[in-house]
Amino acid sequence: MEKTNNSKNISLFDDIGDLDLLQLTKFQTILYKIIHFFKGIPNGVASLFKYIFSLIKNFFVWIKNDLTDIVQTFVNGDYKTKLSFIIMGFGSIARGQILRGLLFLVFEIVFIVYMYVAGFHWLGKLPTLGTELPGTAYDPRLDTYVRVDGDDSFKCLLYGVLTILFILAFIYTWRLNVKQNKISEEILKSGKKLKSAKDDVSSLLDEQFHKTLLALPLTGIFFFTVLPILFMILVAFTNYDGAHDGYSNLFTWVGMDNFNSLFNLNLGANNLSVAFGEILSWTLIWAFFATFTNYFLGMFVAIMINKKGIKFKKIWRGILVLTSAVPQFISLLYVSKMFSANGLVNGMLLNTGIISDLSHIIRFWEDTTLARVMVIVINIWIGVPYLMLIVTGILMNIPADLYESARIDGANAAQQFFKITLPYMLFVTGPYLLTSFIGNINNFNVIYLLTAGGPDNPKLLTSAGTAGDTDLLVTWLFKITTGAESKYYLASVIGIMIFVVVSFLALIVYNAIPSTRNEEDYS
Amino acid sequence: MKKLLKSSLILSLVALLLCTAGCGKKEEGGNEGGAASYDITVWVSESDGVTDLTKEQIERFNAANEDIQINATIEGISESEAATQMITDVESGPDLYCFAQDQLARLVQAGALAVLGEGASATVKGANDAGAVNAATVDGKLYCYPLTSDNGYFMYYDKSVITEDMVDDLATLVKACEDNNKFFSMEYKTSAWYNAAFFFATGCVSDWKTDSEGKFTSVNDTFNSANGLTAMKGMEILAKSKAANSSSDGSDFSKGSAVVVTGTWALSTIKDILGDNMGVADLPSFTVDGQTYHLGSFSGNKLMGVKPQTDPEKASALQRLALYLTGEECQLERFNKFGWGPSNVNAQATDAVSSDPTLVALAAQNAYATPQGQIHGSWWDIAKVLGTVAETATSDADLQAGLDNYKAAIDALFSLNGYVFVGAWNDWNNADTEKAVMTQDGENITITLDVPQSDYMGGRIVAAGDWGTDMGCQQVVEGADLIVAYDAASNGDNNIIFLEPGNYTVSANLSSKEIKIVKN
Repeated sequence: MEKTNNSKNISLFDDIGDLDLLQLTKFQTILYKIIHFFKGIPNGVASLFKYIFSLIKNFFVWIKNDLTDIVQTFVNGDYKTKLSFIIMGFGSIARGQILRGLLFLVFEIVFIVYMYVAGFHWLGKLPTLGTELPGTAYDPRLDTYVRVDGDDSFKCLLYGVLTILFILAFIYTWRLNVKQNKISEEILKSGKKLKSAKDDVSSLLDEQFHKTLLALPLTGIFFFTVLPILFMILVAFTNYDGAHDGYSNLFTWVGMDNFNSLFNLNLGANNLSVAFGEILSWTLIWAFFATFTNYFLGMFVAIMINKKGIKFKKIWRGILVLTSAVPQFISLLYVSKMFSANGLVNGMLLNTGIISDLSHIIRFWEDTTLARVMVIVINIWIGVPYLMLIVTGILMNIPADLYESARIDGANAAQQFFKITLPYMLFVTGPYLLTSFIGNINNFNVIYLLTAGGPDNPKLLTSAGTAGDTDLLVTWLFKITTGAESKYYLASVIGIMIFVVVSFLALIVYNAIPSTRNEEDYS
Repeated sequence: MKKLLKSSLILSLVALLLCTAGCGKKEEGGNEGGAASYDITVWVSESDGVTDLTKEQIERFNAANEDIQINATIEGISESEAATQMITDVESGPDLYCFAQDQLARLVQAGALAVLGEGASATVKGANDAGAVNAATVDGKLYCYPLTSDNGYFMYYDKSVITEDMVDDLATLVKACEDNNKFFSMEYKTSAWYNAAFFFATGCVSDWKTDSEGKFTSVNDTFNSANGLTAMKGMEILAKSKAANSSSDGSDFSKGSAVVVTGTWALSTIKDILGDNMGVADLPSFTVDGQTYHLGSFSGNKLMGVKPQTDPEKASALQRLALYLTGEECQLERFNKFGWGPSNVNAQATDAVSSDPTLVALAAQNAYATPQGQIHGSWWDIAKVLGTVAETATSDADLQAGLDNYKAAIDALFSLNGYVFVGAWNDWNNADTEKAVMTQDGENITITLDVPQSDYMGGRIVAAGDWGTDMGCQQVVEGADLIVAYDAASNGDNNIIFLEPGNYTVSANLSSKEIKIVKN
């Protein structure tokens, strides 16, 4: 330990050069890195704010430039350009680009008609999400009560958002139309010819082919991903729940009230922060163990099976892979029943005389610690085979000469694992580890099908009911959404919080894993 | 107008076609051969054979009513789940559906049930037992059709383990189960519907009141009391036993249970397993501190509801169909096939029904049962945890702490009641009823508040926790000189703005929306 003596006068709190760093002991190196990670946080936060600030600044600069450009186009343009500011596509048509011009024109007409017929209606409803309650009317002839339609908050919100997006699309297209005129003028000035409709169409199959290909997927992403996410985020700021479902009872904007219930400690039993904190911490513990137990055990199993001299490799692999041949939810439900107090496992223990009577029954799902351990262990059982398959493939890819030279240098098996296999593995599977960690934070199936979140924890009792000791944020969210009061707004708030946690972790880890930093290392 | 809006939307956002086409309304009521034809969706219990029987019954209804042709799509959805699924999307929900009684208030509040016409109301009231009619009523109006009167629980036991002289005492039963290495199955910690039995035994009540819209306004809940503590001690007899198994599954008899507390719906399963060894009885009694209490229970009904329709012809047709499906003939049929206890008084009077052993046990238990009124949905989630408290408690103080938490959670459900004058003085917190002292007397509310000096001394009166209930500022009948009545149409706010800081008393009438303002 001479090195320790040498490094005595180096303070771990100062920045240390590479050479000095090598002098430190392993423990000191780790400590140094931890200290500097935390030392770096203020700087990191500061630079984040700087970045956001510069983004905002750039945005305004961009707007300013764009506006100047629009004004200049108008001032310098001929009458065709000027008219195009009001009648979109006029310039294009007048200059012979009929197809382009018509497309602009049709879009403008559609926009105006839409806004007149429906757009302003929905836009007007957006601030209140509807004011007219649906009612009932009595029909004396048939002796029945019928529903009289009123506003529907759900539609007000959805179509209101769609209208705003449509307006943005219109502004973008209008800007495109202006730009188009400017470009056309410049081209004509330089004496060249404008593209014909035929050229336009054929370019969509040639140099613009990416646009043709991406049109459909992008539309799909917009309607099936972007719009629902936008909608769900907005729901967090309303009181949309079972009692205010929009169709029969209107819901409305409530500002930050819903977030208040997570963070305001003065709400008594309406306050969810204790439950949220408890569940979040278990969620992270679970995600950590579920990810790394699977990872290392999977790797271990794969290495064992891959070892020279192991016979019947295919059979071992086959047996393990069988667990994934049965759909996961079936095997999970079955295992859940198996381990219940009156399940197969306890029955077997009783019948074989290993436990003498009921008092020794193992209540797997009714004890907090036992239930938590069980879900992790069962997760290993269903997760290891996948890891084994992935790892087997990677193991075969590690150049054999690395091991050969290691052996010649006298490295033992453990050294080979820690110096060659593990770094290689971490490099290749780093992103996988990250995604599977995030996947485990949201691992609804394993938890809900095994324990449904139980055992219930009386300490987490709030007016929204109680949460269990194995509840993850996502199963808790499910309970709240499908629970007695169908609190969609709260589910949306929790969804946003999960997103914050996940993105925070993902950003840190993503920047830390070797795969994204040293691309060259293993190529 | 709505149709026009919709079609124009489709026109303009071509891609929207994909979405809206799915929700496009079906055309109904096409007249063919004089009979109005309706395509409807029906949800009934997912138990074996129920959908088939319902199909037969609807066909019979079609044959008997020549002016109506019902084309029903029948789906099996558990009666305890139906409400949750219905509330998720009332608009595209089923036209006719069955649900358990505890879901009624939620459904009324969500506007998912059509009130019965006067003729239909009279028919239902005349044909069904009083408990069933009460169960289908909210604030004096009949919202649905009683389907069964058997939604209660009692005790099934295995005669080879339990003898008839044991069935009266809980401790004896639990001991017999322990001695024979058998389980005692009762959902004491997974369902408040079952563990409430202990509280009803000691005379505790949980009475909930709703207004006409199904919103809960108050509760008389005595679970957190000396009697409640006794009930918790009674629950400990079961919860602390090694034989305890929190389940109400009839198939438990094949998994080592000697006693299962459940209802009529488990009959066929249990009969298949136990055969002649099946015994039924009312629930046992338990003894705490030398006093004996007979376990109570919930007694209730399963109900059938009709979704509100905009077309009166269809509403009327559905009303007739629901009356038929819940009538004597269909109820008896269900009793014969599935053993469902009828709510129809004529059906109840038949020999087969009145001598049915499970229904006899249920009737014996009914003497101790609490009719299940309208109960706040969250109560089920809150109260079930009391079973876990009884199981894990190590002292009476633990039991009491559990009850205290329970009470706090129940009270919190109502902390958002009342009205609040939101503004800068309480940080626009519409859930904070404390900073503006409020008293309510029927329709009249009085709020005393301190308005501090600030740039914007404005605010408005809303129901606590609900921005959608703005009282407005148009009808200030007194004290208009103290304020600026302000109507910002741009964002829909109707704020009352005070001209100077000070202490004010604001009184308002909830129905006439008249506001009086006095400076103190």
